[in-house]
Amino acid sequence: MTTVTDKSRPSTGTNWLLLLLKARTFVALILVLAYFSFAAPNFLSAANAVLVSKHVAINAFLAIGMTFVIITGGIDLSVGSVVGLCGMVAGWLLLNGVDPGLGWSIQFNTFEIVLIVCCVGIFVGWMNGMLITRFGVAPFIATLGMLYVARGAALLSSGGRTFPNLNGNPDYGSASFPQIGAGTFLGLPIMIWMLIGVTLVATYIANRTPLGRHIYAVGGNERGAALSGVRVQRVKVFVYMFSGLMAALVGLIIASQLKAAHPATGEFFELNAIAAAVLGGTSMSGGRGRIIGTIVGAFVIGILSDGLIMMGVSSFWQMVIKGLVIIAAVVIDQAQSRIQARVALAQEAGMAK
Amino acid sequence: MKITRRLFVASSTAVVGLATAGLRPAMAQGQTIAIITPSHDNPFFKAEADGAAAKAKELGYDTMVLVHDDDPNKQSELFDSAIAAGVVAIILDNAGADASVSAVQKAKDAGIPSFLIDREITETGVAVSQIVSNNYQGAQLGAEKFVELMGEEGKYAELLGKESDTNAGIRSQGYHDVIDQYDLEMVAQQTANWSQTEAYSVMESMLQANPEIKGVISGNDTMAMGAWAALEAAGRTDVIVVGFDGSNDVRDSIQAGGIKATVLQPAYQQAQLAVEQANTYLKEGSTGLDEKQLMDCVLIDESNADKLETFALN
Repeated sequence: MTTVTDKSRPSTGTNWLLLLLKARTFVALILVLAYFSFAAPNFLSAANAVLVSKHVAINAFLAIGMTFVIITGGIDLSVGSVVGLCGMVAGWLLLNGVDPGLGWSIQFNTFEIVLIVCCVGIFVGWMNGMLITRFGVAPFIATLGMLYVARGAALLSSGGRTFPNLNGNPDYGSASFPQIGAGTFLGLPIMIWMLIGVTLVATYIANRTPLGRHIYAVGGNERGAALSGVRVQRVKVFVYMFSGLMAALVGLIIASQLKAAHPATGEFFELNAIAAAVLGGTSMSGGRGRIIGTIVGAFVIGILSDGLIMMGVSSFWQMVIKGLVIIAAVVIDQAQSRIQARVALAQEAGMAK
Repeated sequence: MKITRRLFVASSTAVVGLATAGLRPAMAQGQTIAIITPSHDNPFFKAEADGAAAKAKELGYDTMVLVHDDDPNKQSELFDSAIAAGVVAIILDNAGADASVSAVQKAKDAGIPSFLIDREITETGVAVSQIVSNNYQGAQLGAEKFVELMGEEGKYAELLGKESDTNAGIRSQGYHDVIDQYDLEMVAQQTANWSQTEAYSVMESMLQANPEIKGVISGNDTMAMGAWAALEAAGRTDVIVVGFDGSNDVRDSIQAGGIKATVLQPAYQQAQLAVEQANTYLKEGSTGLDEKQLMDCVLIDESNADKLETFALN
């Protein structure tokens, strides 16, 4: 360790290193992009860029919700199941409507279906939040429980079968349902516009609103935040509801893309979302993380898996590589905080002189 | 401590480097056929992929072997990637009869023909060929053997496949259309989702509730293996187990006097047939055959088990 003895030189060197470490997700993104442009046939094309973005979007929605939850120091394991449940609710509403048992049924148009499904997602998130804040259940356990409940509910809704042919019905105004996943606007898929919208809103919330500052405060020091007048419980309930809403959007998109709702949809999605958030620099212990970092993290994972698929790499290797990348991200994250501490120490020493 | 850390970083870099070096791009120039199946951790799907890949190489195509893990969403993404990679045909064992239609349609819209094996989809006219094993005929073969082994009477249990999979229903129907004509009583019927682990625990519970059962008929071989393991653990090797698929594991068990019989689905041959039809279609614009084709299954018991190797009878 030469930091303290040699004061003039290391600060530029470490500062440069620190900058590189801070931008590591971007560096990783550029690296995987460059590698696959070279190694995978047809990877570098506009059509493929849109395609990869569509695949990434699914994970990115969930990862944005997950980032808020993790910043407050929690975790949401239920999102994958909520994706499945919300897809099934959408399928049910499209095919059957709601039957109040009076010999007639209520049918919905696309907008109403989207609204109802979003409410289902938000409601599941609200229940997660209530379990965690009012009943003091640890987030890991509460959302693990919800993972099973939501998956079971999704399977029950159809008896384990798939809801087929979700093309909608023009008579009920639901014929536009497949457009959510397949439609385009100004040349870009609608789901990409949705992702851009959600990213902007989430970034705005995180950086420019009191709520955003409270989310960071709760994760940084919950007791301190509470003592300075932050309504900790409300903030926590909000992040789980937001996460539920993200899961609902993904459920809608997948059901619309496949024109079918499958109750097992979304298995392990929560783990991909956590991976994207962590890769983007979100700290699992809370208080630190950025939406844009998460988006970049989701792109790194997405490009990695799509590129490996196009190269024809065995799926078993794909899993190994994905795991190594995630571990490497956390190792580098630890290195960054050490160097950051060292720089701070050096600066303090410099000021004292 | 410093040194260990450096060593760790260096070694992990080396591992990643080696791994990347091992992954050379599988596709050179020329025409590529995509082969998409469920996960290769089930030897049945591995045999399909191997059979299709071997035939494709023989006919001069490159291959792109992909795995959808029975997830329709992942399957849809794989189709996107295959289309983007510019494949000329897709051989598919799909991830769900309803949920796969839109993916196959997507390929068709992009001008890429799909050839389905093992499982059907609910639409016709989207894929060029749908070659499936005659599950109903196979199930009847298995059931006839089962009835014979049971001595045409007694109590039995049934292990069902994944309920979302059409084959699970067809096989069960085939079993019952034969068994129900005899004096056999089904005392338990449970799904084990095609899974060996699940079949083990389901079998344990069934045995607990119905210790008097004399036989177990299973929707596939992996579940039969799970059930047999549970029966062995409980010391009930007298129970007759019949499976479906014709895997090497069950073949070995039959030869060792464990599981009594299974029904072979010619997976290897089926996949090869699909590639041959793809080749004909690409060269001549038509396969000259119906879209839906059935391949008959073969009963495997101790008399012919030694001829079975990776889902092909020699």
